[in-house]
Amino acid sequence: MAIARLDDISLTIGSVPILRRVELELSEGERLGIAGPNGVGKTTLLMVLASLLPPTGGQGSVLGAALGTPDVLAIRPSIGLSGHDPALYDQLTLAENLDHVARLAGVASGAVDVVLDQVGLAEAADRKAAACSEGMRRRTDLARLLLIRPRLVLLDEAHAGLDADARIIVDEIGRRAVADGGAVVTVTHDADALRSQADRVVTMTGGMVRS
Amino acid sequence: MTKIQVMLGLAAVALAGGLVLALNAPIDALQGEFSRIMHLHVPASWLAFLAFGVTAVASIMWRIRRTRAWDRRAAASAEIGVLFTALSLATGSLWGGAVWGTYWDWADPRIATTALMFFVYLGYLALRSASPDAESAAARSSILGIIAVVQVPLVYFSVNMFRSLHQGQSIRPDGATMPGGMLVAMLVNVGVFTLVYFALLAARTDVMRQEEAARALEPAAGEAVRPPRFDEVPDV
Amino acid sequence: MSFWGQVIEFARRDLVAERRTGEVVAIVMPFGAVALMTLPFALTIDSALLSRVGPAMFWVVSLLFAMQIALRHSAADRPEHRAMLSLLGIDPFARLIGRAASSSLLVGLFMAVMFPLMVVFYSPDLPPGWPSALLPAALAALGLSLVGTLAAEVTAGLSGRTMLAPLIVAPLAIPLLVGGSQALESLPDNGGILPWTLLVAATDLALAVAGAVVARPLEEAAR
Repeated sequence: MAIARLDDISLTIGSVPILRRVELELSEGERLGIAGPNGVGKTTLLMVLASLLPPTGGQGSVLGAALGTPDVLAIRPSIGLSGHDPALYDQLTLAENLDHVARLAGVASGAVDVVLDQVGLAEAADRKAAACSEGMRRRTDLARLLLIRPRLVLLDEAHAGLDADARIIVDEIGRRAVADGGAVVTVTHDADALRSQADRVVTMTGGMVRS
Repeated sequence: MTKIQVMLGLAAVALAGGLVLALNAPIDALQGEFSRIMHLHVPASWLAFLAFGVTAVASIMWRIRRTRAWDRRAAASAEIGVLFTALSLATGSLWGGAVWGTYWDWADPRIATTALMFFVYLGYLALRSASPDAESAAARSSILGIIAVVQVPLVYFSVNMFRSLHQGQSIRPDGATMPGGMLVAMLVNVGVFTLVYFALLAARTDVMRQEEAARALEPAAGEAVRPPRFDEVPDV
Repeated sequence: MSFWGQVIEFARRDLVAERRTGEVVAIVMPFGAVALMTLPFALTIDSALLSRVGPAMFWVVSLLFAMQIALRHSAADRPEHRAMLSLLGIDPFARLIGRAASSSLLVGLFMAVMFPLMVVFYSPDLPPGWPSALLPAALAALGLSLVGTLAAEVTAGLSGRTMLAPLIVAPLAIPLLVGGSQALESLPDNGGILPWTLLVAATDLALAVAGAVVARPLEEAAR
């Protein structure tokens, strides 16, 4: 079954076309890489796949829900997105940030300690997010994905600023999603990084996707 | 016993003595027993002036020497000054309500200028707490601490510059305006509060020093990061 | 998680963040007190006039600073937070109500501190039975928080939002200001306080309904 299908998708913001005639299919168990220079619309494409931005043209579906319809509300909890900026609240500790997500997602609170340990941040759990390095913040954001275990994982410049240890975390998130019958989409301007991360790589230029 | 504990102990004893003296001092014929508030209000006001003056001096010294000790003195003194300005305003308000029939009189420049001084130094403390780190707090607040002290003479001389419900200075070059026993009690309490100030300053700066030392011992953020442990740590 | 569970969780998180920054207690409250003090300096010192305008000044300061409390930095959600919450399937109305609840507590605290200061600074002639005006005041605190939270949502991500938000919604808060201030003024008249209390309550309800209707469109618009 296709995890996501985009047929002739376009997206215009104001009068500026961002995505043009995007055709994409994502299968179960697939790891897709989308490479392209900055500004070609990779992040916007990711937001469309996340159902957070409705397309202005074309048809698409994600996890069986038609994009741009209220059906997407039901499938959003099965999608996990880690963007440019970690979704952390600066005044909360790393553990409190994940506890907040766990409560909202209905995940057992004991899982927070487990994922922080798994990503190597057990000793930093009580540090405020504002007092942590960018690498620690990104690891915590990735730990959030381990916590909620989404079926479709969307990673925006996931490797940027991460060391080799932290890349193991990204790989593990992808491995679990694939093992669960889901899929992973990674976008990056660094095409070389995708070689070991993706089963298939497409490039984006000028808002269009080319295989 | 540490030196600071001795100072605090002496200050507490002195406060008790000052209180006894205040309760036994002569009272004003018109104000009656309410005049005893003077022995709290005037020393509190004096202490506020002293504290903000020390903050200004310590701020200047920080800008010259750039040592943590001077910044701690500036901050601790400002905290004490804010506390005693609040005490001065509160006791003054109560005294005014009892004696003048009004808890606050905008026509009185000393009340208004004291209140403004209070809020400026509250802002000083807020600026420090909003600064991201100690150096930034010191750099910004030292400037405010130097500028804001101009309010101290403004408050003190406001009773001379503007007609006011407040009485003028009790001690002038041509002599004191109050009876000897009352004056002695007030001056003793001013001395007591000065002792209290130095004890509180020593105690507060010591607490700040210990807090900074404890923070310095914390591992750096990066030291708390370990390699991922997916094989060792099973899923929930 | 249930709707009310989400509301409580958002309110709890906001209050924890506020406790850590101390933005309201250390900055907004002193600024509010300074604002209360500025009018007497601007007016000729006229005790009778100050006594008359004191309660009105209290309400003006409460309205304007409630906006600042609702827009406080510690409660702001960045785009990445919004995306995360949307994907978690959070009801945007629950997030709005949770935020308004935490702001209500802080606005209530602000008003509880400003009221005695106003009494000291302005010496108003408070009518007998003035504590009964606490109910419309509490309802007004809730309403001010709702309108401030709506303003924050409408202006999310925009530059100058701390000035733009009060400009947009301050007029919507006028019924709260009128109801709250008139509730006190009407106390000498028997039964006078009830209509004003109902006005404030009705405004709160209208704001809550508006929030329910616009919460999801506002969430989509903020992306």
